Order: sequence, then C-alpha cells, then structure tokens
Amino acid sequence: MIEIKNISKSFGSNSVLDDISAVFKQGEMNLIIGSSGSGKSVLVKCIVGLYDVDSGSVEFNGRDFTKMNFMQRKSIRAEIGMLFQGSALFNSLSVEENILFPLKMYTKQSHEEMMERVNFCLKRVNLINVNKRFPAELSGGMQKRVGIARAIALNPKYLFCDEPNSGLDPRTGILIDNLIMEITKEFQMTTIVVTHDMNSVMETGENIVFLHHGKKWWEGDNVEILKTENAELCDFVYASKIMKKFKGF
Amino acid sequence: MLTALHNIGEYFLLLNRVFKKPENVKLYYRQIIYEMTSLGLGSLGLIAIISFFMGAVVTLQTASNIDSPLIPDYAIGFATRQSFILELAPTVMCLILAGKIGSNIASEVGTMRITEQIDALEIMGVNSASYLILPKIIAALLIVPIIIIYSMILGVLGGWVVASYSDFSTIDKYLIGIRWNFTMFSIIYALIKTLFFAFIITSIPSYYGYYVRGGSIEIGRASTKSVVYSSITILIVNYILTQLLLM
Repeated sequence: MIEIKNISKSFGSNSVLDDISAVFKQGEMNLIIGSSGSGKSVLVKCIVGLYDVDSGSVEFNGRDFTKMNFMQRKSIRAEIGMLFQGSALFNSLSVEENILFPLKMYTKQSHEEMMERVNFCLKRVNLINVNKRFPAELSGGMQKRVGIARAIALNPKYLFCDEPNSGLDPRTGILIDNLIMEITKEFQMTTIVVTHDMNSVMETGENIVFLHHGKKWWEGDNVEILKTENAELCDFVYASKIMKKFKGF
Repeated sequence: MLTALHNIGEYFLLLNRVFKKPENVKLYYRQIIYEMTSLGLGSLGLIAIISFFMGAVVTLQTASNIDSPLIPDYAIGFATRQSFILELAPTVMCLILAGKIGSNIASEVGTMRITEQIDALEIMGVNSASYLILPKIIAALLIVPIIIIYSMILGVLGGWVVASYSDFSTIDKYLIGIRWNFTMFSIIYALIKTLFFAFIITSIPSYYGYYVRGGSIEIGRASTKSVVYSSITILIVNYILTQLLLM
C-alpha cells in the first residue's frame, strides 16, 4: 500500500500539486486521471522520488520515502518497477540486456539464473524470440511490453505506469492495460497508472483519483465515475460532443 | 552573469555526484571499455588525416618563411616537432575532439534525458550521473593521450613526407631537426595538458546533455553550447597550464 499525505509541489511560482492525499491499495489498479497539465505525471514523479515534494509525505507500507536519503531510498527503489510513457528502454542495449540491467545491478544471481528470469518476464508479457533485438527494431506495443518486462524483472512490490497506452491503437492499448491488471493481481503489487485514456479507465479503474488544476477533485471507481455529477469530471469523461449528447448534456 | 555562476555551480554539483562510489564496478568496467572503443576508435581516422596534413603544412610554411642563411636547414624539422608536440597535437587536436566527441556526448546524454532513460536509471536506484558520465571521463583520460601521441607521430610523419618530396630540405636534415635538443619533458607537458583537456571535453558536454530540457531543438542547442564552452575552457586552461609548466 502507498499512502500520500498532503503533497504539494511548485515549480517556481507555478503551483502544480496542491495538498493531495490518497491511498493506493495493494493488488488493485489505482488510476490517476486528469486532463493534460493537471499534474498527474508530476504526482507520480513525486511518489517515486524523481521530484522532491515541497510538503507532505509518501509512505510505502508505512516507510516515509520523503524523509530518506539517497542510500536509504535505494532499498525501496529495488521494490519499484516503472513503465514510462515512451517505454524509456536503453537504446544501446538489446531487449535481453535491458531486462538483465536491473538484475545485474541488484542481484548476485548467476548468468543462467538471470537469463531464466529474463525469459520468464518476456514470456509473461507474451513476447518470444525478441531477446537479441534492439528497441528501435520493435513496434510501440512491443516496446511497452519490454518496458513492463523490465519493470517486473526484480519482482517489485510497487508498479508505476505513466500513460502506458499512449501512442497505441485502442485495441493494443486495452491489451497492455489488461496485461498490467493481470500482473497486478498475479503478483499482488500496488499498481499506480497515470492515464487520460477513458478506455483504460473503464476497463481497469478499481480506484480512480481525478486531478484538476493540481488538486484532488474526485475519487471513486469505474462504476461510480459514470454516475458522477461532478461538473469538471463529467467534462473530462464526456469530452466529445457525441458523448455529451449520449449523457444528455 | 548570474546564469553563468548558476551553471558553474550546477556543473560542480554534478561532478560531485559523478565521483560517488559506483554501485556495480563490473558494469562500470564494461561501460569504460565500450566508451573507449566508441570515443577512441571513432576519432582515429579524422585525427590521422588532420595531423598528417597539418604536419605537412607546418613544414612547408616553416621552410618558406626561413630565408636567412644563418638559420640551419634542420630548424625546419625542429620547428615542426616543437609546434606539433607542444601545441598542435595536444591543444588543436583536443579542440577538434571537443567538436566531435563533445557534440556526440551532449546529444547522447540529452536524448537519454528527454526519452526518460535517465529517469528510468534513477527509478532503479542507479546514480545516473555516475553511471553515464564517469565511464566517459575515465575512457577519455585513458584513450585521448594515446590519440594525441598518435597525432604527434603522424604530424611529424607529414613533415617528413614533405621533406622527402620537396627541394627545400633533405630527409637527413629533417631527421636531425626533429631529434635536435629533444627533451622528454615536452611530451610530459603535452600529456599533462591532454589529461586536463580530456576531462573538459567529456565533463562539460555531459553536463549540458544531462540537464537538457524540452525536445530535439534543445538537444541541438545543448550540443552547440557544449562545443563552444568546452573549446573556450580548453583555451583558458591551456594558457594557465602553459604559464604554470613552462614559465
């Protein structure tokens, strides 16, 4: 479980996050949604420590991450896997080497044991015969899968996904969402997904936090979101004219 | 002025992170080998062509400007050797390397920044500054002196070829000139300068690449800035070192 308490973050005079608190449960798909510029990516980067918060705390199963130094954070970071918006695979390394990287960095396993883990992760994300290929030789969907495989290589307790289906067609996007959900359930991870894709929200949103202008505006699940009367959320969910007509606005 | 001070401060803070103890020495060792190959082998052809022709031109210009009978013919070889060992090989070649290697490093690290690869390293608990930059610095400190010695040899060789095929000197006189009054300190002085320059041409572009923000236009700007500031720093450090070591 990850608990954030009263997080605020500014860049100069620009306040991006304002007093946000939320609980992200283990074994559930926790979604952070909001329109572009609402602060969702910044929130995730604050949670994983890429940005330092101005105030507030981030607790990973009761351990306050914000009060730790670089070395203390390393133990928690070994429990974190992250899938980035553009996959962030290392271009100079092959698929296999990308997944081996965290294993080499953190474990003392033999090469055979590490390769066994690499092959397991690739199989788990339904990729075969791509070990020796380089990221540039893969499609967007395959890169996302490799990103997921790398993120789960160390068997993390916490999985973060920043817009996992951006740049993918709706069908592939749903496949990626379902894959993340399956992995979350299978390994009982605490998963936080940042998205503004309503297909993802409807498909996988078990715990949804809606951000608007850097504030937490609404919280609920994918059933409650359809019944909400919250004006800003309705504007986000039913953004297109046809959806507004469907809803009766 | 404030921006310049901010950049200098940020550069030294980055260096402080770069020289932290590595997480996994084995991975760093592999990176150093990779960088040595990438930075070193990729520059050999360019350095060879430039050094050879510069050596030839320096010899021709020295010969054409010496018309006093009081100056012996072997002075041509002597002048070529001294100018190449003391200045052209260490300083001019490092300025060329600052353009070639520097822009390459700034764009490589900058691309890793904007494609979130550096964030991915940080998430894994890796000191990204150290992992990305330290191997480049160590590789340059090891390989650039070798490139510079190679440049010295080719420069003198260029002069030798000119001496062989022109009528202003003979090979014997040229060879006497390049051996005349030779002191090992000239080479040591050149290599000391080279070590400083190797550090500059890797650390400054790494800094500009590491802190790039935005997209491809900013990478291009960072690349240009890194070459400009590396070159200026090389020239300033060259003056200081010459003052300290030769005066």
